[in-house]
This record gives sequence, structure tokens and C-alpha cells, in this order.
Amino acid sequence: MRIGDFKETYAADEAILRTPTVRFWTGVFFAALAVFPFVAGDYLIYLADLVGITVISAMGLNLLTGFTGQISLGHAAFMGVGAYTAAALASRWGAPIWVTLPAAGGAAALFGVVVGAPSLRIKGLYLAMATLAAQVIAEFAFINLEGITGGIRGINVPAPRLFGVELATDRALYGPIVAVAALGVWFAANLKRSAPGRAFVAVRDRDISAELMGISLFQTKLRAFALGSFYAGVAGALWAYFMRIVTPEHFPLSLSIHYLAVVIVGGLGTVVGSVFGAVFMTLVPEVLRGLASLARPYYPQAMTVLSPLTEVVFGALIVGFLLFEPHGLAEVWQRTKRFFRLWPFVH
Amino acid sequence: MIRKRLVAALLAVGCAAGTAGAADTIKVGAAQPLTGRFAFAGVQINQGLADALAWINEKGGVKGRKIEYIFEDSGYQVDKAVAVFKKIMAEHKPVMFYGESTGLGKAIAPELNKTYKVLYGSTSFSSELADPKRYPYTFVSGPTYSDMIGVLLEYVAQNPRGGKPTVAFFYSDTEFGKDPIPYARKKAKELGVDVVAEIVTKVGAVDVTSEVLELVKKKPQYVIVHGFVLSPIPQVIRGVRDYGLDTRFMGTFWSMSQMIIDKLGEDAEGYMGINPYAYYYETDVPMIQNMRAFNAKHHPDVKHRPNSYIQGWFTGLVFAKCAEVCLENGWSITGDNLVKALESIRDWDVGGLMPPVTFVDHKIPVGRVYRADVQKKRFVPVSDWIRLD
Repeated sequence: MRIGDFKETYAADEAILRTPTVRFWTGVFFAALAVFPFVAGDYLIYLADLVGITVISAMGLNLLTGFTGQISLGHAAFMGVGAYTAAALASRWGAPIWVTLPAAGGAAALFGVVVGAPSLRIKGLYLAMATLAAQVIAEFAFINLEGITGGIRGINVPAPRLFGVELATDRALYGPIVAVAALGVWFAANLKRSAPGRAFVAVRDRDISAELMGISLFQTKLRAFALGSFYAGVAGALWAYFMRIVTPEHFPLSLSIHYLAVVIVGGLGTVVGSVFGAVFMTLVPEVLRGLASLARPYYPQAMTVLSPLTEVVFGALIVGFLLFEPHGLAEVWQRTKRFFRLWPFVH
Repeated sequence: MIRKRLVAALLAVGCAAGTAGAADTIKVGAAQPLTGRFAFAGVQINQGLADALAWINEKGGVKGRKIEYIFEDSGYQVDKAVAVFKKIMAEHKPVMFYGESTGLGKAIAPELNKTYKVLYGSTSFSSELADPKRYPYTFVSGPTYSDMIGVLLEYVAQNPRGGKPTVAFFYSDTEFGKDPIPYARKKAKELGVDVVAEIVTKVGAVDVTSEVLELVKKKPQYVIVHGFVLSPIPQVIRGVRDYGLDTRFMGTFWSMSQMIIDKLGEDAEGYMGINPYAYYYETDVPMIQNMRAFNAKHHPDVKHRPNSYIQGWFTGLVFAKCAEVCLENGWSITGDNLVKALESIRDWDVGGLMPPVTFVDHKIPVGRVYRADVQKKRFVPVSDWIRLD
């Protein structure tokens, strides 16, 4: 049981990491992140990068759907706009990564604002349909605007350079990806407790009441769209550098749905939920596949039988989560923390 | 917390799997689309590749060395597939790899060329990948889609159906569909074949009325269909038949499996297309006999194997052949030497599965035109092997 935790200043009361224990473990976590690229193999580094990109993008969708309640089926399209912006800038004009990342975010945000404009009039399923249309239009544009997107063959992206160092491998990209992800999460955590962030939540919970309180619905919704797609655009740009190629096939509707699953499994309307969701949805299929491959020495054809089974298990896990943890992994996390905080007087 | 536990679990899995396998085997890794929307072919391709390597091992291996085949499911998703590639490369260090898609080939190319350097074959017949300058370690196990359409156009040019030969291209708006089209236009011009229509459609489109009307209006002698596996090919063929138009539909590799004959039934009569390998029911072909004997022994309940299985089998033969050439010349088995071996292959006898094989630009530009025989429910050859050179 943690005792003697008094807040003596306003600053202490407003801190994101409020207790020494939390600060300690956060420190340990970041230390582990820092050491990771020096000890992990290529495969784990690759997965870590993938998780990082997913965290950024999921954070964006969570701001839009989880915090503001604007459901979006166009998240993959926003990522795509960012990825193509970065790829086009980098491959044509050799733009450096510190230019392409914000530019990608900006382009995606602009697209997001256009897509989000109907949100003033329509909500819920209808908005889902409108964003779905954006997804379809974007996919069409990726394929057919050959002058910019390179058509179906896509764009080969040169390795980015940062401070004169070429970031050609997953290991080299790990640093920038983790840094951007940390920045994105930190920004969202702060946004959550500021006036604009609370306006998001107010709009989600009851839009009429929010308007009565003086919140401009249109501005707030558009801000959420812009912010959500900015995150997606930045994630898309990192994806482009990570895969070193962008093609229309990278951003299908199924990816948009995947991201919705990420934020729902992680926890709608929570910051840590985006992180947990990204980790869960990226790593669990890999872990399941890894477990299946354990059978290989004993039964060489095991993977043929077990691979479809892993998909089933993964699906069942998601359904199980929705049934037993409707608030997602973030809620599990809260409970775990509470357990340790109250230990041994939990009842 | 959870993250750490997952990483720990991953590490444990990695360590446990890494210890398997003997030292002097030749390792072939694979990311196979065993689930996802390409699974219908992926499962067969995987089986074909696994069976070919097992068959070679049964015969004593490559110069006495056994081949070990390590595959995992990649679900036809590029990020998963790259993960599988990296995982298998890290755990097993194979010298040859088989990939699930064109997308994977393109995504791993920078690292394949710089870091991994392994001989890379795949399910893809993309003409983009058959480019030794940009993809020095990649080969295509047969003709590219461009070559396939080239072969079909050669056939069209030689067999006009009244007057100057005319053709329509009917393709999907995917990478797969659009890949050979620029080449096809050029080739048609060279051969003096008139392209009277080009129709682009979505994969799986249901309503194809406007496409059918376009074909009825332009009356091409042949329609080359590419970039679909099944739908909307049956709808289009039926639609055109309903208008009483006597046009010949021709497909490329993926739409030349038994599935299309079964699906079309009576309407399959006259459907044609290119296949680069002999079919499983061509029992006079020695390699098909080997294949059938192997299947009778190991998979006694299997009656038929589609052409995707044969693609996998053939690729297995290519992997083994490259390793054999290396061992014959006393080269160590590395990616670079395997590529050198691949390029040195001349008129290699593959037991009639294909005509004697020589790789040109890491592909084999050869194929044969087949026609569906509804009575026999199978494809019968209507041309000799056509080689584009």
C-alpha cells in the first residue's frame, strides 16, 4: 500500500507522472527502450518499429474516435496520404526526413479536414459511411494519379538521412520511430487534460450540451480530424521510410478496420490504450505464429495446419476482450496498477 | 508489463526454434500465404515446393546433401510477410527464400540486395521483378505476365479468326492486372494485332453489363483477360455468350486452373489461356509421373493438383538445381554463387514440365496455349511451346 503521497504544489498535482513509483517504472521502461536496439535481433527490431508506427497511427485514431467520438473508416487513407507525400518529396526532391514528416502530417491533416467537414451534419454510422467514401476515393487516387503516386507500381523511397547518417536499416530507424511515438503519446497525454482535449470529450459525450457550454462543434470536430489525420500522416511517412516502397496495396480498407480494432482492444478514449492496443494487435499474431513454429521439429507440416488456427485464436481473443474487457487493455492496466497500489489490502 | 512479457515470450520462442536443424543441410526459407485472400493458391504452392524438396531428398538430396524447408504463414500482408522473412533469416539463415507476393519482393529488395543476399524466388510473375539490375537476387519461376501475354498474342497473330486479328485487353485495376499492359500494347503493334478495346475492372466486380456491352460493340476475335483469379471472368463470358458473340476468351496463369472449368461448366467450351507448365493430368510427361508417384505415396487421397502446386514444385527444382550447380563447380553455397549458378543454367531438362530451361533476365519466357475441353473437364494443349526471344 502506497502511503504518504502528498501533493504540496500545483505543479506536483498537475504532473503526468505523479508518484515516484510511476516515475521509476517509466524510467525503467525508457531505459529498456534505449538498450533494446543494442541487444535485440533483426526480427525483434523490425517488430518494434512496426509497433512504434502502429502506436503513432492508433494514437491519432484514438484522438478522433476514442476522445471525440467521430468514427472513421478512412484512417488507412490518411496514412496513405502521408506516406505518398513523404515518398514523393523524398524521391523527387530529396527532401530530408525532418521536412517530410511534418509535410506528410500536414497533407494528411488537410485531407482529414476535408473529409471531416461533413461531420457537423452527420454522426455515427452516417459519418462512418462518409469516411468510408474518403477511403475509396483515396485508394482510387493512389492508383490513378500516376504523375504523383507512380500508379500501381508505387514509389521507391530512398533511405532517409539524419545529421548525415543514413537510416537504411530497421535498426537505424528505430530511434526516430520511438522518438516520434514518444512525442506523439506525450502530446496526446497533455492534450487530454487541456481545454481543447476536454472539449473533444465533451463533444463525444453530448454534443448539444457541449455547444451550450460554448464549445464550437464544427471547430472542435475539425480539429479532431486534423489532429487524428496528422498523426496518421506522420505514421504513414515513417511507414514509407520503413518499407522503402509505397504502393496503393499498403493502405486498404482492411487496414482502417484493423486500426479501429487496435483502439477498441487497447481502450477507446485512453492514451495508454493506444499503446497497448498497438502492442497487442501487432505482437500477438507473431507470438501465436512463434508458438506454432515450435511444433516444427516434431512435425514438419505443422505450420500448414496451425497457421489458419492462429487466425482463429487471434479472432477469438479479440471477441473475448470485447466481452470481458469492454474498456480494453487500458482498463486491465488500471486494475493491475490498483492491485499493486493497494497491496496487500485489496478486497 | 505486458509488452515485456510478450518480448520475453518472443525471445523464448526464437531461442527454442533456433536450435533445430542439422549443420550440413541446405536451407530454403519461405513466407507462404497460407491464410488470407491468396490462400487458395498459397496452400498448394507451399505443398508443391515442400513436396519437390522432399522428393529430391528421397532421391538422396543434392549431391548427398539434404534440403531443409522452413516455411511460415504470412497471410498475404506485406508487413507480416517481411516479419516472417526477417524471422526465418534470423533463426535459420537460409541461402534461398521463397516469398508470397510481388509486394514482398519489392519491400525487401533494398535489404535483400545489401544485407541478406539470398536467392529469392516467389509466387510472383511480375515483370517488374524480372530485372537483374534492380533485383539481382530475384528470379521468376517461369514467364512474366508480360511474357504470358506475349505468348498469347503470338498465338492470336498466327490464328486469326477471319480477317486481321483483333484483340481486347480486359484487366483489373491492380498491380497484378496492369503489370503487363504497356508491354502488351507494344507487342500487339509489332505483331500486327489490332487492340480494339481495353477494359479495366475491379477484381470481383459483380455487375459487368457495361463491360459486356463494350465487348459486344467492338467484336474482338480474342479477349485476353488478366489480373483476376475467377470473378468476374465467368460473368463476362456468360454475358458475351448471351449476346451470341463468338469471341475467344484467353486467360493467364492464375485463371488457368481447374477451378475455372468447374465454375463455368458448359460455358467453359473454347476458353483458352497460357500455362507455362504441364498440367497434372498430362501423364505422359516424366516429371508429372514423378509428381504423381510422390503424391500417391505421401498424399494418397489427393486426386488432382492445380497449376499453382506445379509452380511450387518447379521452383523447388530450380532451388535444388542452383545448389547442385554450385556444388558441381566447388562454389560455396551463398546467394551470390546461387545467382551465378542460375544464370549459368543452359537447356536444363526438367522432365517435360517445361521445355529445356534457360533463364533469360532471371525468367523463362516460354509457355503453351491450352484450351478447355468441357467433355474431359480439363485443359488440352492447342499449340507447341512458344518461346519469346
